Amino acid sequence: AVSHSQITRLYSRFTSLDKGENGTLSREDFQRIPELAINPLGDRIINAFFSEGEDQVNFRGFMRTLAHFRPIEDNEKSKDQNGPEPLNSRSNKLHFAFRLYDLDKDDKISRDELLQVLRMMVGVNISDEQLGSIADRTIQEADQDGDSAISFAEFVKVLEKVDVEQKMSIRFLH
Amino acid sequence: VDYQHVQVPFEITLWIMLASLAKIGFHLYNKLPSVVPESCLLVFVGLIMGGIIYGLNDKSPPVMDSDIFFLYLLPPIVLEAGYFMPSRPFFENIGTILLYAVVGTIWNVFGIGFSLYGICQVKSFQLQDVSLLHNLLFGSLIAAVDPVAVLAVFEEIHVNEKLHILVFGESLLNDAVTVVLYKLFRSFCEMPAIKTMDVLAGVGKFFVVGIGGILVGLAFGMISAFTTRFTKTIRVIEPLFVFLYSYLSYLTAEMFHLSGIVAIIACAMGMKRYVEANISLKSHTTIKYFMKMWSSVSDTLIFIFLGVSTIGENHEWNWPYIFFTVIFCLIWRALGVLVLTFFVNRFHVNTVTGKDQFIIAYGGLRGAICFSLVFLLPDFHRKKLFIAATTVVILFTVFVQGMTIRPLVDLLDVKKKRESAPTVGEQIHIRFLDHLLAGIEDISGHWGQYYWKDKLEYFNSKYLQKFLLREYDQPKSSIVLLYEKLERKHAIELAEAGQLGHALSPLHSAFPCSNSHRSVTTDGKPEDILNPDVLENIQEILARNLFRIRRTVPAYNRHTLPGETEPAEQAKEILILRHRSL
Repeated sequence: AVSHSQITRLYSRFTSLDKGENGTLSREDFQRIPELAINPLGDRIINAFFSEGEDQVNFRGFMRTLAHFRPIEDNEKSKDQNGPEPLNSRSNKLHFAFRLYDLDKDDKISRDELLQVLRMMVGVNISDEQLGSIADRTIQEADQDGDSAISFAEFVKVLEKVDVEQKMSIRFLH
Repeated sequence: VDYQHVQVPFEITLWIMLASLAKIGFHLYNKLPSVVPESCLLVFVGLIMGGIIYGLNDKSPPVMDSDIFFLYLLPPIVLEAGYFMPSRPFFENIGTILLYAVVGTIWNVFGIGFSLYGICQVKSFQLQDVSLLHNLLFGSLIAAVDPVAVLAVFEEIHVNEKLHILVFGESLLNDAVTVVLYKLFRSFCEMPAIKTMDVLAGVGKFFVVGIGGILVGLAFGMISAFTTRFTKTIRVIEPLFVFLYSYLSYLTAEMFHLSGIVAIIACAMGMKRYVEANISLKSHTTIKYFMKMWSSVSDTLIFIFLGVSTIGENHEWNWPYIFFTVIFCLIWRALGVLVLTFFVNRFHVNTVTGKDQFIIAYGGLRGAICFSLVFLLPDFHRKKLFIAATTVVILFTVFVQGMTIRPLVDLLDVKKKRESAPTVGEQIHIRFLDHLLAGIEDISGHWGQYYWKDKLEYFNSKYLQKFLLREYDQPKSSIVLLYEKLERKHAIELAEAGQLGHALSPLHSAFPCSNSHRSVTTDGKPEDILNPDVLENIQEILARNLFRIRRTVPAYNRHTLPGETEPAEQAKEILILRHRSL
């Protein structure tokens, strides 16, 4: 569960972004954040907040998306093994990232989807062919069932040595 | 030959010329600044100069007058640091910064003062006439750390960029704290008896001096911003106002015995936002260039003078005292950093690692402030002892610590690099996650405390902006705003260069067989992808070309302007790509 002070803080952030003051955020409200403009994945991250076909997101949706990025607390790891998995579990965090790659939602990262993301993340000095081979190499390393695409399980396996909890939790330094 | 007529300006110019030529000399040989920090080389030049003068005149070379330091050499350095301080991260971390700057400095001062007093009690060192108060006075001037000197090393070797603002902010504020404590102890020295009331008054004075300085600085900052509102027709003297008002704020604060350093910082940070909106782009560049230039000259001159005045008869070399001073400086700094980071880490997810702590502690180089404060001491019979100790500490920290910090950190780093190299997939996905997290943090506004910020923003938009800004435009979407900020010509040039890059594929030769990877999609698993040479090429290409994560705190470098660093170039590239795709 999110603490009371965190909810208050996120709500005041929500209202400060909501320039139209109508209780929901549109894509323009997100685009007004300057750092997001120079983030290579800016558009995809913004889209992750909006459900299918929707143009506005309310506070509940805003919080729900951000809840994926709460740090995993130690006392949460042991309790409630039988209940539903919390949004900020390692598996759900990775699933969130996976969905940013997988635009057509077929539970697989195809070569094209990988290429699109790669193109966003590299500078102008890499040609399409080089990018293609990088994508091929990535798929080859991860692909275990031979379908030339990365499934969620394969994605998880690639990142098994990475400290995902730390990489996908919001950090604070007051 | 009428030398007397021009002597003073002539000699000043010669000194500055010497300093600048020395600087050119160092940078000609590329590898030198990375092995030996610039401050060392400057001190070395000063030593040579001092030796020459001593040899020629057979008397001590000129010692820098403390008034020259405090009135002419220090303000440009502090102004530059204050002006280029990124205000948002600064205020959002102000608690931690104040903790390190104020509590850390006080810890060091009292620690060093008391332990040196303990040493003075030992009979064989012949130091018993150095009283506790004198030791505390000495402690207050020797505790002033100049971490900016080590920021360059910091930049290249650590991962936790959020520490930048900590080191940056600490370096700025602890100078102010040191000067205040120094003046306090000096006034205590002159009082015949010290009662508890005096101590309490001293503590109160601490706050008065600090807050008074802030108020004076802000007042001048607002006046400066207001003045620039009317400068549309006389653009040429716009930069002058910025410098004049900042300097005035410093002098006014000093006049009222308030902290001039805090005043000039408050002035720079307060007026920056409004002034930058009012003045022309060229004035803006001029201001930045002049600030960098002046602070560079000041810095260089100070270190050369340090070298010069080491030669001569200003010192009393009592080696036990000097030795223990150096030891205690190191120990107390290390302890202070350890204890403070212990507290800081308890409250934050983002911990300060051991490596960072080592860098902060070991990077506590002493610099100009100690040097001038010791010469400012009232003449008493042990003054030369303090001068000697200060000189040795500064030389030790600058030479020994300055030169060894890089190799030591590399040694620490080597232990971590023994893990296996990441696969291509890992590299890409990790960078992907980093960008994702950076974006989410920007959206969630990861620094809390919006209450005060919102109040300030409200006050700003309702009253201040109308008063201080010439025109107030409607806020546009951020992509458009940022895009407009780029000079159009440069943007077009970059876009054209990008398209050329696509057509020519300059790195084509990196791949041994250019034909075979075209067949990858149809053939399945060709041998070439598994070729280790190809793998190495891919890794290298990725390392060079993947966009870096945006920095929370822009890199601070004494020698380059903020807009000309690599991240700014990267930002422009990303913006142009996105603007084209819109």
